[in-house]
Amino acid sequence: MTSSPQATSTDDYLVIDTVRKEFDGFVAVDDVSINIRKGEIFALLGASGCGKSTLLRCLAGFEKPTSGRIILAGADVTDLPPYRRPINMMFQSYALFPHMTVEQNIAFGLKQDGVAKDACQRRVDEMLNLVQMTKFGKRKPHQLSGGQQQRVALARSLAKSPKLLLLDEPMGALDKKLRSQMQLELVNIIETLGVTCVMVTHDQEEAMTMANRIAVMEAGRFRQIGSPDEIYEQPNSRYTASFIGSVNLFEGKIDKDEKDFVTIACPSLPDPIYVAHGVTGFTGMDVAFAVRPEKLQISKSEPGEPHNKAHGTIEDIAYFGTHSVYHVRLDRGSKIMCNFVNQQRWASEKFTWNDPVWISWGDLEGVVLTS
Amino acid sequence: MSSKPGAWRRLLPGARWGLISVPYFWLLLFFAIPFLIALKISFAKAAIAMPPFTDVLYWVDGFPVVKLRGENYLYLLGDSLYINAYLSSLKIAAISTALCLAIGYPMAYAIARMVPATRNIALLLVILPSWTSFLIRIYAWVGILKPNGLINNYLMSVGLIDAPLKLLHTPIAVYIGIVYAYLPFMVLPLYTNLVKHDHRLLEAAADLGAKPWQAFLKVTLPLSKAGIIAGCMLVGIPVVGEFVIPEMLGGPETLMIGRVLWQEFFNNRDWPVAAAVAMVMLALLIIPIMIFHRSRAKEMEGRLS
Amino acid sequence: MNAPGRVSKWSWLFLGFGFFFLYAPMLSLIVYSFNESRLVTVWSGFSTKWYGALMEDEQMLGAAWISLQIAFYTACASVVLGTMAAMVTTRMRAFRGKTLFSGMITAPLVMPEVITGLSLLLLFVSLSNWTGLDFARGMTTIWIAHVTLCMAFVTVVISSRLAELDRSLEEAAMDLGANRFKVFFLITLPIITPALMSGWLLAFTLSLDDLVLSSFLSGPSSTTLPMQVFSSARMGVSPKINALATILIVSVSTIGVIGWYFLERAERRRQAEMQLATKQ
Repeated sequence: MTSSPQATSTDDYLVIDTVRKEFDGFVAVDDVSINIRKGEIFALLGASGCGKSTLLRCLAGFEKPTSGRIILAGADVTDLPPYRRPINMMFQSYALFPHMTVEQNIAFGLKQDGVAKDACQRRVDEMLNLVQMTKFGKRKPHQLSGGQQQRVALARSLAKSPKLLLLDEPMGALDKKLRSQMQLELVNIIETLGVTCVMVTHDQEEAMTMANRIAVMEAGRFRQIGSPDEIYEQPNSRYTASFIGSVNLFEGKIDKDEKDFVTIACPSLPDPIYVAHGVTGFTGMDVAFAVRPEKLQISKSEPGEPHNKAHGTIEDIAYFGTHSVYHVRLDRGSKIMCNFVNQQRWASEKFTWNDPVWISWGDLEGVVLTS
Repeated sequence: MSSKPGAWRRLLPGARWGLISVPYFWLLLFFAIPFLIALKISFAKAAIAMPPFTDVLYWVDGFPVVKLRGENYLYLLGDSLYINAYLSSLKIAAISTALCLAIGYPMAYAIARMVPATRNIALLLVILPSWTSFLIRIYAWVGILKPNGLINNYLMSVGLIDAPLKLLHTPIAVYIGIVYAYLPFMVLPLYTNLVKHDHRLLEAAADLGAKPWQAFLKVTLPLSKAGIIAGCMLVGIPVVGEFVIPEMLGGPETLMIGRVLWQEFFNNRDWPVAAAVAMVMLALLIIPIMIFHRSRAKEMEGRLS
Repeated sequence: MNAPGRVSKWSWLFLGFGFFFLYAPMLSLIVYSFNESRLVTVWSGFSTKWYGALMEDEQMLGAAWISLQIAFYTACASVVLGTMAAMVTTRMRAFRGKTLFSGMITAPLVMPEVITGLSLLLLFVSLSNWTGLDFARGMTTIWIAHVTLCMAFVTVVISSRLAELDRSLEEAAMDLGANRFKVFFLITLPIITPALMSGWLLAFTLSLDDLVLSSFLSGPSSTTLPMQVFSSARMGVSPKINALATILIVSVSTIGVIGWYFLERAERRRQAEMQLATKQ
């Protein structure tokens, strides 16, 4: 939990208080709580079935929590139906009304509020301008491309200036190239308007790119909440470490436990791992040492450092153009991954299958995990 | 994640009950309760009165007394006419269902395998006859099958026969009529089922070495089970109580219970017996109707999840 | 099962035979309605006199008018009730009595009409008896019987369409501020309109064609067309009936084909729209 105890009113703009949702005994959302700041883009990240979509639907009003409360800008919305909440959602499938034009789609929410015709038209024009779809106002959804439909869906969900914007797998329906471009555009629009946003995704890259804070969800619970770099560089558990990106995990026991360093005896490595900071733990404690592939150095000759190195053979090579991933079988049998940036052309040719190599890493480049 | 219908429960509960109650009470009043009334009257006795049956519920000194006469049922069970009529109806229904299946399945299968453009036209051609009057189409067969009807005229003019064949008012005519009228009801559910089959399954079967007829038996046929059940129920159950076809195309020896009921009611003016006939028919059909209902409910569940 | 071009010659032959079987009798009706001779199936010359005779047959015309009225009101009521029932079936989770409800909405599809006709008649007779009010049999009682039957068929058509409808469209409308009524009338209804029209046409034809229910529930001055045709046909084949049959076949087929064509077009268009608009 990263919010401070004495939260100001912008800090707990959206308060999810011990929300629980059960379906016939199956617990989809397990007593989760989080305070979300005003203007924050908050991502719920997890695999399918983790409960993130259910939580989102509770926020939208399509599911009623079994217990717990949802408070938005000081007002308790838990019991309000979706059409009475100042919350709008952009659906994964966009859900544009097929029998209405783009303008009518965007104007729909405003009409439900009884906005006068000219004020309505002005707002619609404003929204079309915002998403750069001004020329497409009179078209019907089936006459638009996927990216264009997404823009209209966004415009529609922002037209009423909602206090909270919900995004359900926003990039799910787009192809890869469009995705990266739209991610940045979407964030720009949202930040320009200062809208508080909760998004749901299973795509790590999307969460890391777009969100200010991420909550990694599993089995209805928050495993870790933090900013993208916190989650990536400071995972709090084996689960989170393996869920985001790739990681090499070494299981072992704390060998020496000192104030400013720790060594971990690991069966798959000949020498203990040296960690240049203290950890809350005790000698003999079972821990995992996590180090990301890009933090590892690969070399043909033995590195000079006294520790944090291991010898092995290259078993597999995955070539990605920008980098190569070397899968190295260490002498003691376990397999690790090492990323190698191909900074020079043909740099990848330095290593090939069955080459004996040395892997090493810096003293502060890994994380000690106790759960 | 699809929306769970439960969310509706929160929203305007009053309106929700309004939505349910209108069709519910209509059906309760005009579909379910009439059966109970028919049941009650089946325990009465015909009388020269208006309405032409005796009371079942009497009030004696302010206390209700129920006088059930089981005579009608004993009468039904005792008289072989009725038992034969029931059995005959069931037999005719079973045979015609089998015939409809034999003709309808290949038709549905062929149509399901067409390109969408031709498919829709073929489907229209199959459904179109059923939009035109049922009665009139049966009437058409009268003209075809009668002694100086089309078939006989043709056969005689070509010299194949000397005297007209007796085609009308025979069991054969009844079967022809039933299959003719009910064929679309078999083809449609089969088609709806077959068209959803993934033809790649058959390709996979062929790839694994199955001959076409083996692939059909092991892949297509089992997958079309729901369609077969639906089609057979949609044909078999109503045919048991069919009246028009045996009346117009059948002879005196074509015993069908629908006809018997009609005669009891309109000709003999014996309402209680007619009611009893109906109740026994209902009892015979209740299990197939439940099977049909289950199969439809399952199909709808599959569509909604 | 979309394997284009995989229809074998035998299948075509079989289909051809099947269609011949289906259409030859109707064609014979049409052809012989133009027969001069009174003996329907002995051709003696071309004549349209039977159509003239038909037009002068007051009873037939009267019965036709009654049938058309009943069919119209039946179709309208069936669509309303059927849509309500379809909404309940597809949009509501189990409530107490749902099994009974769904049983009652499926049973009329297969229940023999002699049973339902008789039972409904007995209901009206008993009601008259108990309440003293006169539930006279006539067009209203026929209408009630027809609606009860047709409602089940309409429900099948509409619930099939509703099941395919993307729920997120209705949710999006609610999210934007529309309550359930508005969602139904602004979003759901416009989208399922072709299905409503199909259902209406289906109910109309079913009602127009019904004999058994009408016979049980009609009164002295509410003879429907099928009842009239039936009593004529019982007495023997008559070319006037052929003429009537031809008119019915041609008009129903024309309306059917036109209606089908437009519905197909709307359907194809909405498939394209749905695929692009909702990206499932």
